[in-house]
Amino acid sequence: MIKRLLIANRGEIAVRVIRACRELGIDTVAVYSDADAHAPHVLAADRAVRLGPAPPRESYLNGPALLDAARSSGADAIHPGYGFLSERTHFARACEEAGIIFVGPPSTAIDRMGSKVGARQLMEGAGVPVVPGEAPEDQSEWALAAAAARVGFPVLVKPSAGGGGIGMKVVRERDEVAEAVAQARREAQAAFGDGTLYVERLVERPRHVEVQVFADAHGNAVHLFERECSVQRRHQKMIEESPSEALSPALRARMGEAAVAAARAAGYQNAGTVEFLLEGAGDTARFYFLEMNTRLQVEHPVTEMVVGVDLVHAQLRVASGEPLPWSQASLAQRGHAIECRVYAEDPGQGFLPQAGPLLLYREPRGPGIRVDSGVVEGGEITVHYDPMIAKLIVWGETREATRRRAVEALRECYILGVRTNIPFLLTLLEHPRFIEGAIDTGFLDREGDAVRALMPADIPPAALAAAAAHAAPRATATTTRRESAGGIDPFHSLGGWRG
Amino acid sequence: MTSITLRVGARDVAARLDSNGHVHVDGRGYRVTAVSPGIYLVADGGQRWRVAVAEAGGARWVAVDGQVAVIELGGASSRSSGRRSGHAGAMAAPMPATVVKILVAPGQEIAEGATVLVLEAMKMELPIRAPRAGVVKAVRCAQGELVQPGVSLVELE
Repeated sequence: MIKRLLIANRGEIAVRVIRACRELGIDTVAVYSDADAHAPHVLAADRAVRLGPAPPRESYLNGPALLDAARSSGADAIHPGYGFLSERTHFARACEEAGIIFVGPPSTAIDRMGSKVGARQLMEGAGVPVVPGEAPEDQSEWALAAAAARVGFPVLVKPSAGGGGIGMKVVRERDEVAEAVAQARREAQAAFGDGTLYVERLVERPRHVEVQVFADAHGNAVHLFERECSVQRRHQKMIEESPSEALSPALRARMGEAAVAAARAAGYQNAGTVEFLLEGAGDTARFYFLEMNTRLQVEHPVTEMVVGVDLVHAQLRVASGEPLPWSQASLAQRGHAIECRVYAEDPGQGFLPQAGPLLLYREPRGPGIRVDSGVVEGGEITVHYDPMIAKLIVWGETREATRRRAVEALRECYILGVRTNIPFLLTLLEHPRFIEGAIDTGFLDREGDAVRALMPADIPPAALAAAAAHAAPRATATTTRRESAGGIDPFHSLGGWRG
Repeated sequence: MTSITLRVGARDVAARLDSNGHVHVDGRGYRVTAVSPGIYLVADGGQRWRVAVAEAGGARWVAVDGQVAVIELGGASSRSSGRRSGHAGAMAAPMPATVVKILVAPGQEIAEGATVLVLEAMKMELPIRAPRAGVVKAVRCAQGELVQPGVSLVELE
């Protein structure tokens, strides 16, 4: 078993991994930038090593500094968390070469999944469905039109080179091919110096459904069912849940098998996620490989709650050379789980990220409520890192019970000092489309403004009364003292009070 | 008896604290009890709310049922409105950010609301839009540059 683990990350995920280590009797080493010297993850670990100044490049992305920290602190393993260096082949390889266990897949697997084109070919070879498409050698308008007809309209005309949506054109009918091809070619030529195009079938209003996979060094690979992450704004996930409303048992089984096949084809080990685009719902739905995330995901707690497993424990055991703690037959989903990502961003101002002090920070508590966070009251949200403050994960017996539990828990989540997306999350959780479970990945980009308009505009006057009382601490103190002196429980005394 | 003016957005609200520890807002009486540091139970006889309050430089942040407001004390202060127009008027970064894309050039005519710059901070893109229609006079930043809040990045004639 790993003896001492360095966590090459910060915030909630570092705290999460440190907790798992303490439970398993593994020593922990935190690393920190100057902005995080007193952060909760630093205080939680057995020891801590400074990496450098606040900018990620000089701290959490500084591979050599991380390896030095591991050597100097005697760590025999590194957990990369998510983001930062978690999916950098060179970092995983540097760990392997230094004889330090990288808690994640082998660098070769990261490499195989890192290239979009390469991953697509690998998946086709493994029988995992990819979005149908053609890259004709004859690049004439006629050949491309013929390819589009074979693929089936509507199609997406895409440049072979580059990315970022540049030069991508939606073509709905054959008549539109000529103009789209000319335009796409011009843009691709200008942007990438290469006007080669290919044609892919357009998946309209897809859902994002991903499958958690896990493999060990002994040839075992399992899936831990799906997470639906269609509630996203400009590719940033906001709410994740499991099970997905769109899957039937047969579809779930097929997607699970495809995900395991993908992991095996990549020579995968440890925790990973295979992302699919889902077109339609139920037995007739079609799914297509999107990409593989070769790390622990932000939304992993959703799976932990619904399947009843500890993915970080399993990561540490598998990285130590132990076999998987589960067989496929031993895994099942029970109940429902929803995760809400609480971000420091102002939905009233176009989701502008917010930085500032956490003047007051209180997390909700109760049955089925889990909060993964790496902040404390009195701490600060800085501009240097991701604006995620906390993840609220709730479990319930049914989707509706879980949804209501999430609403109540968010209402009891008090964060003052920075604006958060909580009002928007609440509006979304109460939106008919969410209640129906009928949200596709484009929903928030199309209708986000309409959802925002549903957020309550005015705060209840009761809040102003509390603000006024807070402004006069003496009056409040007197009230409280008199009540305690009289032995009256303030909660009970309120019932009989008449305004 | 203490009277306070609370400024909520553009609205001034009078609050009065009486000697019984009741607070009157907009003609309604509330009983406010501190239950833990910063958390108050507010009751109007029928309904109850748990309200969180924190102080920050002359303002009070309040949260109730997932809603948050920043309330300024003492009434007609121009601070909040000044801040707001500062955001929309000058084409400046609202926080330290990196310039990702420059979408306009000097001499170019732009419409109101057109995106002129895309900044990035905290891994998120922030589009900066033109507050009015006009002709771009100068672009005072470069792609990849780290810019500070409040500094004008694009000027109109």
